[in-house]
Amino acid sequence: MKQTSEVLFNDKRLGFFLYLVVEAIMFATLFATYILYTPSPRGADPTEVYELRTVVLTSIFLLSSSGTLLIAESGLENWNRLKIWIGLGTTFLLGSIFMGLEVHEFYKYWSEGYTLTMNNFLASFYVLVGLHASHVAFGLVWMILLMVQFKQTMPRALFKEKHKIFNYYWHFVDVIWVLIILIVYAPYLF
Amino acid sequence: MKKLFWPFVVIAFLSGCQMRVLNPKSDTADTLTNLIYLSFGIMMLVLIVVFVLFVYFLRKFRERKGTKFDVPADEKENKWLEITWTVIPILLLAILAVPTVKATYDLTSKVSGSAEGSKDNAMIVEVVGQQFNWKFTYENGKESYDELILPVDQVVEFRLTSNDVIHSFWVPNLSGKIDVLPGEETRLSFEPREEGMYQGKCAEFCGAEHTLMRFETKVISQEAFESWMQEE
Amino acid sequence: MNGMNVPFVGQVPSDIVVAWIVSILLGIALMWWMTTRKKWPLIWEYITTTDNRKIGTMYILLSMVFFIRGGIDAMFIRTQLAIPENDFWVFQSQKYNEVFTTHGTVMIFFVSMPLLIGLMNIAVPLQLGANDLAFPYLNSISFWLFVSGGVIFNMAFFFNAAPNAGWTSYAPLATDTFTTGPNNNYYIFGLQVSGLGTIFTAINMIVTIIRLRAPGMKMTRMPLFSWATLVTSFLILIAFPVLTVALLLLMFDRIYGTSFFLGEYGDPVYWQHLFWIFGHPEVYILILPAFGIFSDVISTFSRKRVYGYTSMVIAIALIGLLGFMVWAHHMFTVGLGALANSIFAITTMLIAVPTGIKVFNWLFTMRKGVVRITTPMLFSLGFIPTFVIGGVTGVMLAVAAADYQYHDSYFVVAHFHYTMIGGTILGAFAGIYYWYPKMTGKMLDEKLGKWHFWLFIIGFHLTFMPQHFAGLNGMPRRVYTYTWEDGVFLLNFVSTIGAFLMGASMLFVAWNLYKTHRLTDPVGADPWDGRTLEWTVGSPAPEHPFQTIPKINSIDAYWYSKVERKRLPKAEEPRPSPIAIQTVAPVLLAGVLIVMSVGFIYGWVWIQVMGGVAALGFFIYRVFHDERKAVYRKEEES
Repeated sequence: MKQTSEVLFNDKRLGFFLYLVVEAIMFATLFATYILYTPSPRGADPTEVYELRTVVLTSIFLLSSSGTLLIAESGLENWNRLKIWIGLGTTFLLGSIFMGLEVHEFYKYWSEGYTLTMNNFLASFYVLVGLHASHVAFGLVWMILLMVQFKQTMPRALFKEKHKIFNYYWHFVDVIWVLIILIVYAPYLF
Repeated sequence: MKKLFWPFVVIAFLSGCQMRVLNPKSDTADTLTNLIYLSFGIMMLVLIVVFVLFVYFLRKFRERKGTKFDVPADEKENKWLEITWTVIPILLLAILAVPTVKATYDLTSKVSGSAEGSKDNAMIVEVVGQQFNWKFTYENGKESYDELILPVDQVVEFRLTSNDVIHSFWVPNLSGKIDVLPGEETRLSFEPREEGMYQGKCAEFCGAEHTLMRFETKVISQEAFESWMQEE
Repeated sequence: MNGMNVPFVGQVPSDIVVAWIVSILLGIALMWWMTTRKKWPLIWEYITTTDNRKIGTMYILLSMVFFIRGGIDAMFIRTQLAIPENDFWVFQSQKYNEVFTTHGTVMIFFVSMPLLIGLMNIAVPLQLGANDLAFPYLNSISFWLFVSGGVIFNMAFFFNAAPNAGWTSYAPLATDTFTTGPNNNYYIFGLQVSGLGTIFTAINMIVTIIRLRAPGMKMTRMPLFSWATLVTSFLILIAFPVLTVALLLLMFDRIYGTSFFLGEYGDPVYWQHLFWIFGHPEVYILILPAFGIFSDVISTFSRKRVYGYTSMVIAIALIGLLGFMVWAHHMFTVGLGALANSIFAITTMLIAVPTGIKVFNWLFTMRKGVVRITTPMLFSLGFIPTFVIGGVTGVMLAVAAADYQYHDSYFVVAHFHYTMIGGTILGAFAGIYYWYPKMTGKMLDEKLGKWHFWLFIIGFHLTFMPQHFAGLNGMPRRVYTYTWEDGVFLLNFVSTIGAFLMGASMLFVAWNLYKTHRLTDPVGADPWDGRTLEWTVGSPAPEHPFQTIPKINSIDAYWYSKVERKRLPKAEEPRPSPIAIQTVAPVLLAGVLIVMSVGFIYGWVWIQVMGGVAALGFFIYRVFHDERKAVYRKEEES
């Protein structure tokens, strides 16, 4: 009999990758929507809305969180509990700061009058970037749950499995952010 | 079901000359009707081949007392047969594709061509679709509702737009459909060849009374049209 | 024309009152029956199961319930259209629009899809020599999301708010500017929730097919139904997320005041693109599994391996691929331009080639075989000519210029019913009769099955053949009446007769079910003299069907083992099976999602928040109740 945990993990990994394909297509459709409607003939133009400072700051925090997650990953390899704690903890911290900045960015735009209903550029911006932000938020909750599970006694193989699946998710969310920088912000900032 | 199929085909042919789509009264509708007949012909060929094989195989290889416990010999496939039923359909479709593309280009350039593309002698009618009626505005500013008056043997170009949702302009005897979109202008053009009354309909579901969004197309003589245009 | 003399009871149209009364009475009768017959433990067992056979059976059972609903809608449509200028009951103007919208949506999303998914659940793991789907728990979630979506969608009617913008829900008609009220919100959430379930099913099927095949069963030895399921699942994986986003944007338009699809600032045609980028693959999602069923059934009842297996597989894949390149043939009259219309016309025609290959391979499977006319075979035989008629009208519709005439007329209605009923529904019936022993351990009565078939197929052609000609005579679809001058009375009248014949044929199904379960004995593992692995396990398939996993060395391995009078060899080192459990969480999640959706549909923010929190709570519950924990612990200790 083959190692059950290994086989079942491989099933799960393939399944989760397929799920990420689904997510990727959803984001691709939203990117297409954004490109189609931006800039809009009326209402605000992206050049007057976006601020370089916020984009740079959010990017630094989120992208570096993908790096800190690597610490946890290497901790998983040789079961170094400290490394896992440090990796997860810093990733959570960086992700939270990103989330805070993102909420602030939305709040600021909104209070400047750049609301969802102003035009289709802003509508597609909020839906796309908002969906990404909700993914980050979901990931933060997920990390809390992972940390709680880490404190519990559970089979090591199971924790590794859950942690790895989370890693794929978090890296995926980061890749989407890179695409957001390139497609959403960059053309109107530089 | 084949028992039912053929009587219907016969009925269809008998009444075919009365069916609006197959009874074209304009140049555009002519082209479309010819295409329909061509595609129908080619497809009947395919249909007959399949039906004949189907009936033949079914009769010949149906289980009988003698074959009840037979285990037929294994056969996998035959390269040449496979090639045959791949290549022949491709050829048939190619025969169909050429006139399809040609007609699509001819008619569509008429339909969505730019302003310069429109013929000099074309009469222009502005069409506005709205829930649930049609407004036609003629060159001299005269307007009519749910009644489209056209002179015979005169190229007419429609410029269509909608005030609310999407509609579709359709006079089966005279031309195919063109959608009528809000915030956009679509075009359609044809030359009616015979005087008469033709039904016009909205063909895109547009809300509660979509069914009632119909109009009457009257194709009348050039003189009658001139005098109608002068009427108040 | 009307609208004032509609019979109302208070503020509510009388059909809704009748529906409430009938549903409550039926509900009470059902409860009483289940209680007196002590069925509750059985119901509980099914509700909490993760077993693929039980879930598959529930899919089919529930689809049949929705089939009745969609069928009754169809009867109302046909009655209203039976004669010109008719005023049948309440079914004019907006009420009629609601009826055809729910008919279309229910038949596609809550009948055809779940029927096929149900059959996949039952047959695919067994055909592969797997003990369950890869993710039994997720499978249960998929099913309950489908239930949830179905309940949300069907609830609308009972609250006098049935969706009314057509199953395609074209903008801007479907935006809140033109269709106010909650009606089309129901459409959005019903489809969104059930669509999520479908996506999960696709993932489950792909992983199952890629990773859980019995040793020796290479991809090139897989039965064609499993192949069709694989390709279909990839289509779902790519097409459904586009629908998800389209619905999301429509939701923002309707609820949060954006204008993605509004005429003035947005782009109504963008909705059509998104919808058909999903919608066209969707029709192949519906037809490919049926093709798979026919391949297996025709091969079994011709006592021959399927002809041209390789080209059959390539054809399935090609149809799937081309299915993504033809969406704009639904939009020929939008004015996309000559080039776009020509390209989409040609890609559409190309689909006829792989489809033709399949038809000829089916015919040549029968050639030189021994063709046994059983009920599943009868449905498959009925399918061939019917579907070919639908196929050739499909090619006629592909002629872009000619489509300017056919588009949105009854010709199109006839065409897609020939493919959807002639393909998908006949396929589902064939599959149900064929695999019924695997579901229940009994075999449906053959004689009644044949009655069902003949009434259904004759009714079908009577209904839809005339509609071609109604379309050619200028009858647009989605109209609730026509005039005497339109010259389509006779055609419509015949059509109505046919529809009632189809309805009557379903009574034979009911009778058959009753007869089978009351009066007949269970059957053995292999009642049809089958060829594939599902016929090696007991009927009904037990929860852990393969105690020993067989080793496969050819296509139709079971058949050849029977011919050679040998047993299938045992696999040396099979992989571990997925873990089955009993859980009530998925059904609770379904309930939560219904509540949350109602919150969104009516704009009740507190219910949205509560639903959201509860849904998140479900994730947290799931994290701490993972069935793998016990299994992995055991492994760790050993």
